[in-house]
Amino acid sequence: MRQLWTMTASDLRQRVRDRSVIIFALVVPLALMFVFNLTLGGAADQSLDPVTVAVSAPADDTLAPILIASLTQVDGVDVTVDEVSADEARDRARSGTAELGVVIPEGFGDAVRQGEETVVAVTEGDGSGLESDILLTVMQGVLAQLSAGAVTAAAGAQSGVPAEDLGALAQQAATQAAGLNLTEGEAANEQLSIAGALVAGQAGLFLLFTVGFGVLGLIAEREQGTLARLRSMPMRPGLIVTAKGLVSFILGFVATGVLLTAGSIFFGVSFGSPVAVAVLIVCAVAAATSLMFIIARAARTAEQASALQTILALVLAISGGAFFPLTATGALDTVLGLNPIAAFTRGLGITSGGGGLGDIGVPVAIMLTFAVVGLAASRLVPDRGRDL
Amino acid sequence: MLVARDLVRRYGDLTAVDGVSFHIDPGETFGLLGPNGAGKTTTISMAAGLIPADSGSVTVAGEPMGPGEVHVKRHIGLVPQDLAIYPELTARENLMFFGRLQGLRGQPLSRRIDEVLEIIALTDRAKDPTKEYSGGMKRRLNIAIGLLHEPTLLILDEPTVGVDPQSRNAILESVEALSVGGMAVLYTTHYMEEAERLCDRIAIIDSGRIQAEGTRSELITLTGGVDHIRLAGAGQSAATQAALRALPAVEQVAADGHTLTLTVRDAPTAVAGIVTTATGAGMTLSEVEITRPDLESVFLHLTGKALRD
Ligand SMILES: Nc1ncnc2c1ncn2[C@@H]1O[C@H](COP(=O)(O)OP(=O)(O)O)[C@@H](O)[C@H]1O
Ligand SMILES: [Mg+2]
Repeated sequence: MRQLWTMTASDLRQRVRDRSVIIFALVVPLALMFVFNLTLGGAADQSLDPVTVAVSAPADDTLAPILIASLTQVDGVDVTVDEVSADEARDRARSGTAELGVVIPEGFGDAVRQGEETVVAVTEGDGSGLESDILLTVMQGVLAQLSAGAVTAAAGAQSGVPAEDLGALAQQAATQAAGLNLTEGEAANEQLSIAGALVAGQAGLFLLFTVGFGVLGLIAEREQGTLARLRSMPMRPGLIVTAKGLVSFILGFVATGVLLTAGSIFFGVSFGSPVAVAVLIVCAVAAATSLMFIIARAARTAEQASALQTILALVLAISGGAFFPLTATGALDTVLGLNPIAAFTRGLGITSGGGGLGDIGVPVAIMLTFAVVGLAASRLVPDRGRDL
Repeated sequence: MLVARDLVRRYGDLTAVDGVSFHIDPGETFGLLGPNGAGKTTTISMAAGLIPADSGSVTVAGEPMGPGEVHVKRHIGLVPQDLAIYPELTARENLMFFGRLQGLRGQPLSRRIDEVLEIIALTDRAKDPTKEYSGGMKRRLNIAIGLLHEPTLLILDEPTVGVDPQSRNAILESVEALSVGGMAVLYTTHYMEEAERLCDRIAIIDSGRIQAEGTRSELITLTGGVDHIRLAGAGQSAATQAALRALPAVEQVAADGHTLTLTVRDAPTAVAGIVTTATGAGMTLSEVEITRPDLESVFLHLTGKALRD
């Protein structure tokens, strides 16, 4: 027990000292909340014309579909996306048969995931107006979020991040927010207001990165040699992994709590009963942490781990509605409902509508099931590093 | 102190360690000498209970060692090949952290930390984060952490890799001091000079197998190689040669003007007697030179490869 606490406390101390957690778990998501609140909020109270966007995207790119999907999901704007060749995308915007031409370059997904620069070329047609401006800002927000996610994941897995990168990212997110007008949005669905969904979604997405600072630290310890030393200590091997899980849990809980609190202060959202919200956070953190155990076993290197984390986090966050409210129906809705991020957001919708502990049984069950299944699955994943 | 029997460890199709056996007595310094990829780290990872063996066994102080053997691990101190220290923490914090995991605490821990900081000459820098340290300082701290709880068996995995000559010498001296203090040491290296200087017994390991094991001189006799002592000076005669030939260690004596070249077994041990005998038989020595085959030639002889590429 003492050894467990020694390891947990030492880890927390180091993460706070290198400031990576503070920046990635709190500063970046808060900055992104502002960006998104501004872009989404502006659209809500105007009547907007339908828009056609001509998009060219490389085949098989993992992240391009996210960017494209974000366009069709903008609240209040009716968007038709035509997938065309790069030349055609530009031509159609110039000739006015599309309001926007968007060219996503070859290698886009890889570049974003590795935190490298990549340029999405956008051509605005003559007749385009407020609608295409909104789409542009949304795309910028999504791009900022994708790269923030990638760098965050890298930071979590490698523990020790170039400070310049962090500053630049936070700043980028913040400057994008400047010059736009803050408008409080209307309710996007029956549960959370736009601002509420945004805060919950961002908290959910970044939770998936924040928990990486604990469990994925195992990989960094393996690479830097300290894991070998820990394993030579007179303690049960399981204690090392448990301590990392505990670090993930504490960081995830604190960061999500702070984000929801800050979000509700800045955006005037009320999430309802603190006890029920705390239970939801605990369950979400458990689910997210269990995912990290799978990654820690499957990845050989810190780089692999952060790539895997980025993909899983983005997929879960997007399908969980963290980037933009998803309006799925039928079977898809059911699948999305099993997503812990979606369950978390739903749970917060229930509590913000006045629901208490007794009303959040379903989302709690979904998240806990995810946590248990994830933990069990992590034991089944072949241990590629061969020593976790 | 440590007994390893028929250790085997596979990674996929590769058998990294293939039937390794050796033992280390209390107070003895035992060397595992072999090139990169020979299986040294994998062997000591099993010896220290970091990873399970696919087959074979390790006992430390008579008790079986393995990943789950919490109690036995108290006997060992491990100095991993990679610098196993936390860059964000200071030297003192690193020592404090690992000391607590070893079960030390309070006053005894602080006192012991002061002691080892003194030994590795880091007292002045103890409050700086280790990421600001030089390579040599980190290496020294890496070793100190392994010593903190005064283990009976210290396992060092290539502790001088990437270190400047001065720090390397300091490290070798401290290892020598430890074995004088009665600690058993398992030392891996791919530097022949280190194995020769430090180790009472050496196992030469290549491709996961121990190719030969013994004291330095035992290993060298494997090559069929013998030592030579060259004596230069005035006054050598047939009588001098006969007296020298009569010594048990001397196998052959060849004369060339003022110089005698002796073929001997174990020259360092024999040289004193040889000098006394030669002087006693009328020779005035101006020069004595020993040449011996080294472990490099043993390795070449056993594996057909050079120790370092
Ligand atoms: N975790 C591992 N996975 C796969 N192969 C490994 C692993 N650890 C070591 N090996 C392989 O086992 C062999 C022996 O490695 P090692 O014990 O590190 O050698 P040494 O320490 O003598 O340089 C090498 O070929 C190495 O590539
Ligand atoms: Mg090695």
